[in-house]
Amino acid sequence: MNFSERIFSRLELIPDCIEKLIKKIKHLSLAEEELFDIKLCLQEALVNAVKHGNKFDTNLEVECSIEVLDDRLTIQVKDQGAGFDEQAVPCPAHTENLTKTSGRGVYLIKKLMDEVKYFDRGSGVKMTKFINKENSREPKRREA
Amino acid sequence: MNLKEEKRNDITICKLEGEITINNSAELRKAFDLIIKRNEKKVLADFTAVSYIDSSGLATLIEMFQRLKKIGGRLRFYGLDQKIKNIFEVTKLHKLFDICDTQESALKDL
Repeated sequence: MNFSERIFSRLELIPDCIEKLIKKIKHLSLAEEELFDIKLCLQEALVNAVKHGNKFDTNLEVECSIEVLDDRLTIQVKDQGAGFDEQAVPCPAHTENLTKTSGRGVYLIKKLMDEVKYFDRGSGVKMTKFINKENSREPKRREA
Repeated sequence: MNLKEEKRNDITICKLEGEITINNSAELRKAFDLIIKRNEKKVLADFTAVSYIDSSGLATLIEMFQRLKKIGGRLRFYGLDQKIKNIFEVTKLHKLFDICDTQESALKDL
């Protein structure tokens, strides 16, 4: 099962886009916690794409697609910006960075999803959540 | 997101409700601005009715924490849903913020 949504780079379009996408995966037997994490990662990836990727240029678009397989759900968010180096984002969970107010979106995606890959110089992110409990990496969140 | 304020002696209780996201964090920041302007230094964030928070919401809480700290104030949290508590733990913000189990213990702690 595949589906996608496309929005122009306006923050106010994000909640509706997320609602439409979440509606399409609600029939999957996901735990409330998994759905929460997926929604949050969708939000963070879309906000980063609009804000940092397309730099609020309302002529530029963000595309979000979701692929659902038996054991996994893969979300791809792609903007039309120049990209970024996710390795260069300081870890906000380090004690010295705890009061920093940026970088937490990238970090949350890394921690809450099971596999995360940036592509096209960082202008796209592909994130996977295993939905088959045996493949799930739930402990990862507690190890954070 | 909705925010209602309540005073309990010198403590300001901020009852937050709904989703705290980039789409309403400016509103939250504005409410915090007024609290700082009124020189209220003891703030309790009641998260009982908060269903969701994103990184922008977290950043707004960090700003408030820092501003209160600067003027010798304190910020305490209580009523966090397990999923939100997990977000605080994953981001390690539970080490920065004081999260209390009950309103009573939070009030006492302030």
